[in-house]
Amino acid sequence: MPIYDQRYRRYEARNPLRELRFWPITREALKLVVARRAFLLLLVAAWIQFVARTIQVYVVTRFPDAGRVLPVDGRLFGEFLSGQLGFALLVSVFGGAGLIANDLRTGAILVYLSRPLTRVDYILGKLAALMSLNLFVTLAPALMLWIVAVSLAPEQFASLKLMWLPLAIVLHSLVISLAMGLMALAVSSLSKSARVAGLAFAGLFIGLEIARGVLRGMFRTPETGLISLQGNLHALGNALFGIQHRFFNQPWPLAALALVVMAALCLWVLRARVRAVEVVQ
Amino acid sequence: MSADEKALPPPVPFLRAARAVFDLSLEEMVWSRKSLVMAGLLLMPVALAVLFRLVANLKHAPAGIDLYGLVVAMYYLRNALPLAALFFATALIADEVEGRTITYLLSRPVSRASILCGKFAAYVVTTLTLTLPGIVVCFFLLVTLRGFSGVAAFVPDLLRDLAVAALALCAYGALFTLLGVLLKRPTIPGLVFLVGWESLANLPGWLPRYTVTAWVRSLISHRPVDEGLAELFQTTLPAGEAVVVLVAITILGLAGAYGIFSRRQFVLDQ
Amino acid sequence: MIEFARASCWYGPVIALNDVSATIGPGVTGLLGPNGAGKSTFLKLAAGQLKPSQGEVKVLGAPAWGVPEVFHRVGLCPEPDAFWDGLSGWQFVTFLLRLSGFDDAEVNRRAEAALVEVDLLAAKDRRIGGYSKGMRQRVKLAQAIAHDPQVLLLDEPLTGMDPVNRHRVVELVKRLGREGRTIVMSSHVLYEVEAMTRNVLLVHQGRILAEGDVREIRDLLDEHPHAASVRARDPRRVARAVLDLPEVVSVEFGEGGDSVVVRTARPDAFYAALTEVAEEAGVYEVFSPDEDLESVFKYLLARRGGAR
Repeated sequence: MPIYDQRYRRYEARNPLRELRFWPITREALKLVVARRAFLLLLVAAWIQFVARTIQVYVVTRFPDAGRVLPVDGRLFGEFLSGQLGFALLVSVFGGAGLIANDLRTGAILVYLSRPLTRVDYILGKLAALMSLNLFVTLAPALMLWIVAVSLAPEQFASLKLMWLPLAIVLHSLVISLAMGLMALAVSSLSKSARVAGLAFAGLFIGLEIARGVLRGMFRTPETGLISLQGNLHALGNALFGIQHRFFNQPWPLAALALVVMAALCLWVLRARVRAVEVVQ
Repeated sequence: MSADEKALPPPVPFLRAARAVFDLSLEEMVWSRKSLVMAGLLLMPVALAVLFRLVANLKHAPAGIDLYGLVVAMYYLRNALPLAALFFATALIADEVEGRTITYLLSRPVSRASILCGKFAAYVVTTLTLTLPGIVVCFFLLVTLRGFSGVAAFVPDLLRDLAVAALALCAYGALFTLLGVLLKRPTIPGLVFLVGWESLANLPGWLPRYTVTAWVRSLISHRPVDEGLAELFQTTLPAGEAVVVLVAITILGLAGAYGIFSRRQFVLDQ
Repeated sequence: MIEFARASCWYGPVIALNDVSATIGPGVTGLLGPNGAGKSTFLKLAAGQLKPSQGEVKVLGAPAWGVPEVFHRVGLCPEPDAFWDGLSGWQFVTFLLRLSGFDDAEVNRRAEAALVEVDLLAAKDRRIGGYSKGMRQRVKLAQAIAHDPQVLLLDEPLTGMDPVNRHRVVELVKRLGREGRTIVMSSHVLYEVEAMTRNVLLVHQGRILAEGDVREIRDLLDEHPHAASVRARDPRRVARAVLDLPEVVSVEFGEGGDSVVVRTARPDAFYAALTEVAEEAGVYEVFSPDEDLESVFKYLLARRGGAR
């Protein structure tokens, strides 16, 4: 019977890890989500506002008097992105809730992490998938709307004064997608059921917003909005697009800080929960 | 009828079976991570009220009963309770199907009605346990902002709020139980119902009558300032009618859920 | 007694069980078939978890679907590894006994007896979530037998068990069968079923392919030339050594040039000859590509086709 060498042997990886290792995870996640017909319908429904706003821009460019009721300027895009937040929530619940929860339930996470992938790659892959979906309902229609607006009213939207608009659209869409994506993934990692994770994320998102409403009623200060993810995203959008809002009027630097804290919290949860092995007490 | 069939004893009595299912479901619900999330949501106003008492300048604060009314009407009845119902009630059967434990329940000599009722009772007890103490604590923390004098006058309001909260949990719970057995993925339709359909309550005409929230808010006396269309159109419906409608929603929701649950082959969903 | 009368079951466009008629009486019956053959569907129909799309399924004279009373006398050990993970083994078994209508004293007595039968009494207070796969299989079996059912439906009950517990469960099932209960056990492993019973139903592509004594299958295997694939440094040396044996039907060289496939009607004589030449020819791998259930099924199907 052969007796094998029992001493410690240093492992030397034969090949360096690939660049963009997270991409296959993103691709697979997107494939799975987009394969559902109901999800595609949701993605299509998310463009309804785009159609409505296009009509608004068209009407105002043809009949300038209508602009007094439905003003068309830089604020239009901020309001548009605020309106898309509801779809970002639905997309994150539908598409994001199961991204980690399903892997935890089926043990697929072990399969992922037994490949030449790090936990960071895994999280990046999932986040990229969810961000892509969110960008599809925020950045894509908002940029398209800007192109439509520039085409219909070049004298207004192609002016130097409004050249910051595409940049603001990209920035705000990225912030929305990143914040929603991180929070949805963090909640997804806390459950093995996509349904429970989806409901928990929606509960958290809506719960924090109603808590903001109650706190505002109690303290009557704009800073109460800092506890709400939705409130902070609105506040940042309002600052970027120059919108004066009655309720989401917390100072934007504080809103940005609150979003950074929330993101850090989500990353901490993900770091603790995304593991190949779960110990049962 | 064969000799074998004649010899079969009757199913386990309804109440006994429902009680056994209730005990298990309660154990599962109370100690689940899901309940922790919901406890956070349903007890958040207590934390906010404590914070308010600690931090706020009480001299310039609004009247305690108004703040309490805001918490009950805006937080609990309009948002948190429907969300809690969506969270728990859609999962009553879906959790068993998803976890594949439904097979154990359906291979015992018990009627499906007893399984559904046992689970619904566990939902009601769990959500009431998480909600009612929160409302009571908020009442005392907020109404006594400027001392205990006059508090007794508002106690009937508190009792009414507790009863309305219970009724709302039953009505929403029955609706979402129905949704949970009807659909394989009830989350998105449930959310769309809550944030979309229920907004009809803030529109004029007969539209509020088609929502649950309009009937629920008609039963309480608090009318806090709203942030949206409700400010313009908030409709109050007759209280007696509201009780009848909410009870009817509960009964019809559960009956519909039973109708589907009793016929459905859950193995196919696995 | 379990009766299938022209029962069919389909999941959407997929036919899982096709026009099956069978009667299963007391004793242990093995339900044999490869994965996806329809074994689980057969058991789910018998356990009232599925409604037949066509035909009828009766258990103890009553329809299996929609008659909960029947579960006083039926025990089901389902295949999925599914539990209320927060419960301990004891809580799991006692809860299901309560659902069978027993009072507290009886629940405790029966739960203890069932857990003793499957050797889990010592671990009864541990959470099922922390059980090993084999323990989880055994606690599933405990809940199936705890209410002393007349009919026991076991869906792949030996999966994940270690040899000691496998033996224990085999003996338990055999004993329960001898006591006159109707037991149906599904498996895709021939020797698992053989260890418990000689009475088998062969299921293939949603149909009952054959039924009878497991020894008949063995005989079929014996009639069917046994194939052995031998990998060696010098496969031609192996071929020369076995070619003279009268029972060898054919010798075929593999594609890589390092293997030879031998078909023989007498495997024992072939293996004896192979042993003699093994060292000289540098034999490093021997396996039988067809001594599995799938090949038996293929063979039976071929015979059925030939009979037509």
